[in-house]
Amino acid sequence: MAEAHSLENPRLQHHFRNADQQFSSSKLGMWLFLFTEIMFFGGLFVAYIVYRAWNPELFTMAASQLDTVLGAVNTVVLIGSSLTIALAIRAAQTDKQKQIVNYLLMTILLAGVFLVIKYFEYMHKFDLGIFPGAFYTFEGIDHPKANVFFSIYYMMTGLHGLHVVIGIGLMIWLVVRAKMGDYSSKWYTPVEMTGLYWHLVDIIWIFLFPLMYLIE
Amino acid sequence: MSGHHIIPMKTLISTSLALVVLTIVTVAVFYLPIPAPFDVVVALLLASFKATLVGMFFMGLYYDEKFNTVVLMFSFLFFIVFIGITLLDTLFRDSGISVW
Repeated sequence: MAEAHSLENPRLQHHFRNADQQFSSSKLGMWLFLFTEIMFFGGLFVAYIVYRAWNPELFTMAASQLDTVLGAVNTVVLIGSSLTIALAIRAAQTDKQKQIVNYLLMTILLAGVFLVIKYFEYMHKFDLGIFPGAFYTFEGIDHPKANVFFSIYYMMTGLHGLHVVIGIGLMIWLVVRAKMGDYSSKWYTPVEMTGLYWHLVDIIWIFLFPLMYLIE
Repeated sequence: MSGHHIIPMKTLISTSLALVVLTIVTVAVFYLPIPAPFDVVVALLLASFKATLVGMFFMGLYYDEKFNTVVLMFSFLFFIVFIGITLLDTLFRDSGISVW
């Protein structure tokens, strides 16, 4: 590996030996951030586990209010968006400038589909009076603590949804910069890091789907 | 050259297909009459397998420096500790205390 010099590569910061070292450092930094994200969602998963252990029958009754088909469709939508952002990274690595933009736009579109489906799920529940905590007025679940399940449901899916919105924002920024030709096989660090973030959002949904929608 | 591996198109497509098939399996298993604790176990095993596929092939851990995988493993370890210590409290409270 030839020693890169900052005059040859304007992206290379002086405190890194070469572009490779800089890239793997960025990646390690991103993984450390994902560590904190896992612990962040972890707190909510622990709340879920504690309340489910205390009241298993409540979770079985309340989950019947969630639409399995919509949950499954959203799982597939997020898997598709993970594929398209992986393809965007691949396009950057192979210097296909136009494909980077197209795959990013497809990812944004799929993320939008996810949010639209989630919006209709929320609206349907609001119509029934299924609100979190003290605002809960639904009477279709014969359990005194039915609101607790939905507090956890709204916190977990809401925080996940917020991550999807942030992901869309990041990808819009990537599209703008990709259109200016900022990314190529020489340097595409932001695309790679946004990809890692987006895949983690996908993984969290992969766990949320069976834990929320599929309770017998 | 670490971290710059171009993941083959075939790998990306087959990973996605495997994830879709596993999602269908997850839903199908839900309708099978599996007794109480094992339905959750099966669902979590399937989800973990899907997460592993995403981590290895979409996030590139399979091709990466192994230290990134170590970081991820440690996050799981601390998450398990988090669950374990919390349950040591909540599972063993006197019935009078567990007012929630």
